[in-house]
Amino acid sequence: MGREEEAETQTSICKDAPNLLSFFVDTFVDFSVSGLFLLPTPPLQNPNPSISRSLPPLPTRLPSPSRLIAVGDLHGDLDKTKQALRLAGLIDASDRYVGGSATVVQVGDVLDRGGDELKILYFLEKLKREAARSGGKIITMNGNHEIMNIEGDFRFVTKTALDEFRVWEQWFSVGNKMKGLCQGLETPTDPFKGVPMSFHGVKREFFDGFRARVAALRPNGPISSRFLSQNVTVLVVGDSLFVHGGLLPQHVDYGLERINEEVRDWINGSSGKFSPQYCRGRNAVVWLRKFSNEVAQNCDCATLEHVLKTVPGAKRMIMGHTIQTAGINGACENRAIRIDVGMSRGCGGGLPEVLEISKNSGLRILTSNPLYQNMGNAGLNVGKEELLIPAHGGLREVEVKA
Amino acid sequence: MGLAQSAEAAAHVTQTQTQTSTQTSTSNNSNSTSLDSVLAEAAAYGNNDDTEESIEAKAQRALECPCIADLRTGPCGFQFSEAFLCFLKSTAEEKGSDCVSPFVALQSCIKANPNAFSKDVLGEDESEKSEPTQEYKILPPQWSREPQSPKSRL
Repeated sequence: MGREEEAETQTSICKDAPNLLSFFVDTFVDFSVSGLFLLPTPPLQNPNPSISRSLPPLPTRLPSPSRLIAVGDLHGDLDKTKQALRLAGLIDASDRYVGGSATVVQVGDVLDRGGDELKILYFLEKLKREAARSGGKIITMNGNHEIMNIEGDFRFVTKTALDEFRVWEQWFSVGNKMKGLCQGLETPTDPFKGVPMSFHGVKREFFDGFRARVAALRPNGPISSRFLSQNVTVLVVGDSLFVHGGLLPQHVDYGLERINEEVRDWINGSSGKFSPQYCRGRNAVVWLRKFSNEVAQNCDCATLEHVLKTVPGAKRMIMGHTIQTAGINGACENRAIRIDVGMSRGCGGGLPEVLEISKNSGLRILTSNPLYQNMGNAGLNVGKEELLIPAHGGLREVEVKA
Repeated sequence: MGLAQSAEAAAHVTQTQTQTSTQTSTSNNSNSTSLDSVLAEAAAYGNNDDTEESIEAKAQRALECPCIADLRTGPCGFQFSEAFLCFLKSTAEEKGSDCVSPFVALQSCIKANPNAFSKDVLGEDESEKSEPTQEYKILPPQWSREPQSPKSRL
């Protein structure tokens, strides 16, 4: 290669160097925080360069897939998360997505009560990208604990979780310093701008952890904008209406697409510290328990029916948020399906169960509860672990609690 | 500074590939090994007639760019270069997943030298000196609270 050619090649490579450096740093930081390497971000569905800063709309209504899996509250327990996904045949023993073209909906409350919050967020992100390649879809939703944490309400944070965020911040900051050393890159925004140095009434030893959590999770923080802004708040898939707490008629009137867009905009920092009004208080979409009383007859079935009538095609509402000690069950003639089984260690460690809705088999509960194992396995000498989480799981009918 | 790897990262390191970071070419997934060795060979023999440069050569060029210059200096410059090179040459679907060893080496160096990539000798971020413009209130968990003492009731 002649000298001129050399110089040209060097220049053209160096034009790319800042982007490559940035990509390297992001990969290194992600690995340091989560132990994972992610597939590249899937391309945007509707790239529209003429509209600046516009994101493709969040999916509010989706058609019926051939297989739909609903997963309840995870609350910072990565092991239980994996158990639940394995139970549904969605991941293999190496944590690879093997769910094919299934649609998976996780109804919120990844955060709080456990120490694996970032690990779960990263793990679900990894699976989302793997699923996209097989024509599958993994949709995560906002629970009340996501909303609370973005607002700075840390009442249910655990010590381990605080530590996880403290470690995240150390690597994230190193990454920003590395990017800052490359002249071709814009100096990254300081995630600590406006974050207090101290917290009144809090033990000094925890200041670092809380600073990190505030920086990460406040509106437009690195973790909320990267992961939580992808969450929907209300969702219709086929004839199932998904929401963390519950929907009231006024929420439907307000507009489901509008709710999703407003909450996302809030998470991205466009409307200050506090979430929209329908996310706060006992009648909030993420706090309602009207259809989730464990004593089914105490549920407000009349209102539920009213809501379902106003959402075209909706036959049932699927909700998390209220721990069902008996496992997944239905109320109001199975028009309200309650899928929070309190599986996190921090919630009592309930046995993992997931709801399956498929074209072939309708509504089924996939459970790790040994009472429901296939009778055919009864003679086999299986290890204790396998009894609890067999490859094909146990099935039971959706119970209607009298 | 007390940087710590997450438990996941530690587990990943102990359970998965053992990489030798002394090799110039990375050993990728089995289906790209033969390609790698072809490229390594071409680079070794300095294939001047080929206008298309090998991945190795391109990666080395990237290391010479102005953007990278400051990152190569300092106590972790070597580990950074090894990790960055490996990353550039990685053809794994999850780019860099075959670079666990140099990544871990870089992590260790950073843990030992927390200011390795700080901008100036003084090393402190300016952000630490700026005061927040308004009180950002959190609701802390009970276990993190200072015990109420009679004095504080004044």
